[in-house]
Amino acid sequence: MKSRLILLPVLGLAVLGLALGPIGAKLLGFERLIDAPAVHLAPQKIFTIGGFTVTNTLLSAWLTCIVILLLFGLGSRRMAMVPGRLQGFLEVLVEALYGFIRGMAGERYARRFFPLLATIFVFVAFNAWMALLPIYPTVGFKAEGADHVTTHLLRSAGTDINMPLALALIAFVFIEVWGFRVHRFGYLREFFRFGNPVQTFIGLLELISHFIRIISFTFRLFGNMLAGEIVLFMMTFLTFFVTPIIFYGLEILVGGVQALVFMGLTLVFTVLAVAPHEGHQEGHAEAGQQH
Amino acid sequence: MLAAPRLAEEATGIGALGIDPWSLLAYLVTFGLLVALLYTLAYKRILGVLDARSGRIRDSLEEADRVRREAQEQQEAMQRTLLEGREEGQRVLAEAREAAERYREQQATQARAEATQLIERAREEIRQERDAALEQVRSEFASLAVTAAERIIHRSLDPDAHRDLIDEVLAEGDARAGRN
Repeated sequence: MKSRLILLPVLGLAVLGLALGPIGAKLLGFERLIDAPAVHLAPQKIFTIGGFTVTNTLLSAWLTCIVILLLFGLGSRRMAMVPGRLQGFLEVLVEALYGFIRGMAGERYARRFFPLLATIFVFVAFNAWMALLPIYPTVGFKAEGADHVTTHLLRSAGTDINMPLALALIAFVFIEVWGFRVHRFGYLREFFRFGNPVQTFIGLLELISHFIRIISFTFRLFGNMLAGEIVLFMMTFLTFFVTPIIFYGLEILVGGVQALVFMGLTLVFTVLAVAPHEGHQEGHAEAGQQH
Repeated sequence: MLAAPRLAEEATGIGALGIDPWSLLAYLVTFGLLVALLYTLAYKRILGVLDARSGRIRDSLEEADRVRREAQEQQEAMQRTLLEGREEGQRVLAEAREAAERYREQQATQARAEATQLIERAREEIRQERDAALEQVRSEFASLAVTAAERIIHRSLDPDAHRDLIDEVLAEGDARAGRN
């Protein structure tokens, strides 16, 4: 009975939202109440410091960093054997990420990979989740003559291609540095195989695939974050109430999943880079035989 | 068309994405700083506490195992001691029973010997008493006989008087015997 009492106003709000939106306006023949949302592929300029332009996405990234640092700083300020709520939350998060990394990389590398990989997850996820706060799409500046916000003060950093690209470059360098660190120059044998033309071609493909990872990493995150933002804008524009909540829930999931995917792929490629290669195995086998 | 999102920028191609080297650098620096700060401020501490806690749990489990093992060993030792005690008790009991039996037999033998000795002594005393009594009777009779003889000798040998005299002596002897 109670659930019906709640359900009825919710359904009423959903229908009202639909009726007041552009679909209702078209069907009922009245003027649209709000304009269609503007989609910005590039971030918007907020202010300039000594010739350096601070965009709304960069500002959002800095705000996210402050929130992350405050959260982790306060949570780990006085570490106790019996944790409080915040410490407990951070421990659960860190332990889950560490367990994930250790499961793939093993105990030997987990502790070394952890700081960067965990930060990738935290940075991507918190950027995505913070962008769901109502201040993001509502607070900003109006252009002259405009009746709505045309420049948002804050915008999810994931929707700025520079952020996914920066993370992709960091992931790329991380993977290759670890490959070189473990195999030294033997790591290059993976790409430069001069045994036969087929092997040479495979090596070349391998080399290209490593660079293509930068593009795939970048556009996977950028695409998902931008698509999420557009979906939220459009659903809010089309249905006003209730329905966008479902998509907000979906975006919470998407933010976490994308963070996990970015971190997971970086981890997998790093593990592949540090794993013993064919040439090395042969070398080890020869060394073993000599002994 | 109901409503379509409109592109705010007029730029086309890759330029529309807004790739900017300075922004890229800013993100690289921001992320690098975040990694360094999180590692210094949080990760090390949190992982340290997690390690310490897992170490403590491992120690506690090992300690619990050790205590359980010790308790088991103590219980086994206690059971062994109990068993040994029971066996010792049974042995002591058997020995005590044996000693008691021996003592009882010894006491019985001794009692029997003492009883025999007492009986013998009593018999001897009775025999001595009887002999003494007989000796006394004999001496009394002898004295009486002497007395009777004296009286006979001093009187005439009248048979009736003789008989009366003997009866008198015997009566006197009886009277003496009755007094004794």
